[in-house]
Amino acid sequence: MYILKNALQNLVRNSGRNLMMGIIVFVIIISVVTALMINNTAGSVINDYKTRFSSEVTFSPNMQRMQEEARRNSTGGTIRMTPPPAMKPEELLAFGQSEYLQKAIYTAETKGNSDKLKAIDADKGGGGGIMFFRGNASGNTEAESLGQQYFHRVLTNYYEDFENGLRALEEGRFPENINECIISAELLENSGLKVGDTVTVTSVLQELGGESGDMNYTDISWELMIVGVYADITDEYNNDFMQNAYTNRRNEILTTFETIADKMVEGFFGIDITAKYYLKNPDMLDAFTAEVRAKGLSDLYDVFTDAGSYERIVAPVEGLKRISITFVIIVLVFGSIILALLASIAIRERKYEIGVLRAMGMKKMKVVLGLWSETLVITAVCLIFGLGVGMMVAQPVTNVMLKQQIDAAESAQNNNSFSPQGMMTVTSVGMGRVGGGMPGRSDAEPLKELKISLDFITIIEIIAVALFLSSLAGIIATQKIIKYEPIKILMERN
Amino acid sequence: MMENVLTLKNVSYKYEGSKKMVLKNIDAAFEAGKVYTIVGKSGSGKSTLLSLISGLDVVTEGEILCGEIDLKKVNRDNYRARSIGVIFQSFNLLTNATAVQNIVLSMNISESPEKDKKAYAYNLLERMGIDQETADRKILKLSGGEQQRVGIARALAHNPQILIADEPTGNLDVETEKDILAIFTALAHEENRCVIIVTHSRRVTSIADVIYGIQDGKISVVK
Ligand SMILES: Nc1ncnc2c1ncn2[C@@H]1O[C@H](COP(=O)(O)OP(=O)(O)OP(=O)(O)O)[C@@H](O)[C@H]1O
Ligand SMILES: [Mg+2]
Repeated sequence: MYILKNALQNLVRNSGRNLMMGIIVFVIIISVVTALMINNTAGSVINDYKTRFSSEVTFSPNMQRMQEEARRNSTGGTIRMTPPPAMKPEELLAFGQSEYLQKAIYTAETKGNSDKLKAIDADKGGGGGIMFFRGNASGNTEAESLGQQYFHRVLTNYYEDFENGLRALEEGRFPENINECIISAELLENSGLKVGDTVTVTSVLQELGGESGDMNYTDISWELMIVGVYADITDEYNNDFMQNAYTNRRNEILTTFETIADKMVEGFFGIDITAKYYLKNPDMLDAFTAEVRAKGLSDLYDVFTDAGSYERIVAPVEGLKRISITFVIIVLVFGSIILALLASIAIRERKYEIGVLRAMGMKKMKVVLGLWSETLVITAVCLIFGLGVGMMVAQPVTNVMLKQQIDAAESAQNNNSFSPQGMMTVTSVGMGRVGGGMPGRSDAEPLKELKISLDFITIIEIIAVALFLSSLAGIIATQKIIKYEPIKILMERN
Repeated sequence: MMENVLTLKNVSYKYEGSKKMVLKNIDAAFEAGKVYTIVGKSGSGKSTLLSLISGLDVVTEGEILCGEIDLKKVNRDNYRARSIGVIFQSFNLLTNATAVQNIVLSMNISESPEKDKKAYAYNLLERMGIDQETADRKILKLSGGEQQRVGIARALAHNPQILIADEPTGNLDVETEKDILAIFTALAHEENRCVIIVTHSRRVTSIADVIYGIQDGKISVVK
């Protein structure tokens, strides 16, 4: 205790030297506070955008390679483009088994008819077959659906509407097991059914690539138990154009992914599987790409994330972050050198004092502790004021620097504008579809504003820096003091 | 026979990096309750001997026993802080601190059980002829004699068993010297302390029970 008291007295006694030390520490701390605040805020903004923009994986056909492929396969001078090989559902599921993914979301959809379910607007007819458009007598275009007519969409993707509050479970529960489903209250009522009833749903799958015209079909059917019923306030129809029982959203049958996937037949289409993959970290893209290639993804597909938009938005902030961290390092290196010099000069000046204390029997460690307390007190005071001043300057400094970064990014962009690789999503030529989001965000604006804040981690880092600075002086003191023998110091003086 | 508080056995010493043996095979004993003076020419090794006794330095050969224990084997920081008090030839006070702060700090280092250390320090300084106003001044602003008296007070502050003094009255007038010497004598004869004084002064040697003389690195009993 007396050591701390003596340290405080010493601070007052040697106020000139301590003031100088204080000013240097103060400048270092303000610089570090400002730069760290900018760095950490920029870092969290970048991370936020990273996860939002560039973790969703897209598989997209590479047009150039497809053309080359077509040229190679062409016979007799005619080049015939064929679609890239379809991704099979098994493949999509296999791709999803990856340690690089934070999640893989699968959805399945098909069309169906039912024995006991009485579709709403059944008098408008069914749909889901091949569409024909023709002008009618009154001059309007009329859509007519030929071939197999369906009255229900059978889906797995029912979460979003429930999360958004457009649908709410009224009775029962969500499907959990295979061959369970939920339907809208209107459909249930229209059909005169109740929760717990079982309905048969049938559909037809068609063979792929039947060129001859005589295609093969296969019938599939489910025995679905209605385990729940929901209130539905979504729009019945998405547009005015094709209104029939099939497109009426009240007629949807919501079931589990397994229920639909269970009925897939190899070589036949009619069931669409969609997979969305989300990387744990966008940096894992290369590793994930290598993995899916090994699992059989054709070279004709490119694997990418929407890194372009992300980079455009975040580039100025990243520039800012780089500058600020460089600044922190420079300040810390130079600051440490100056402080170390100052500390060793101070120790030399105080050699006699140390000799006297040691001659009186004060232990080396206590002498060190005393000197360390002095620097600790100086740094603590500087820390408090430095934090305050740093918080005031951080925002204006950021504004100026971010503006410069944006200007720099814009002039660089004019020379080298980003164009997304030829993109096209693959729809159900086959049975699989990947990646819902088209990277259509390339007009994304760069971040124009960065709201600087002082978070807990920044405070901890600054305290760590302050501790480091004061310990540096302490360590130098310790080294010297351990070497000193009191008698030698005192004799030198005499 | 009185018990020896300090015993020097065959002590030799030379400074690091120097060839010359300053002290050669010295044997000496110091008892509690007596005043010792050590005399000798300048450069004969008196201060050197004191630095060995006070645990600031270690012997090159031989041993110094404090009671029964070899000084080489004890924690010499604790030994300096508690067992002995040293009055240095050049005072060795903290020049930036006040007289009273010097003494309180020394008491703290010695872990003195005194409750009101400040009051105790003022009192002690008063006995050495330093009034409160002077005691609150920085050492730098005290005269040589005043500094010497603060040095004496500091050496006495933790009631050490052994008091070591290097020319303690060199800067004092005859009157003050008398007072200080009376204190030394009382410490030895009434409080059973061992007082060891290096001096050139006849007045100081006059209070000695035993006088050692150092010459050519050898020690001998003069009285
Ligand atoms: N650090 C040192 N290194 C080498 N020799 C030293 C050192 N300090 C003192 N000496 C030498 O040791 C001898 C004894 O010195 P010491 O200070 O003990 O003398 P002293 O008897 O106290 O003299 P004085 O009466 O002048 O105070 C001297 O010859 C001195 O030069
Ligand atoms: Mg001397």
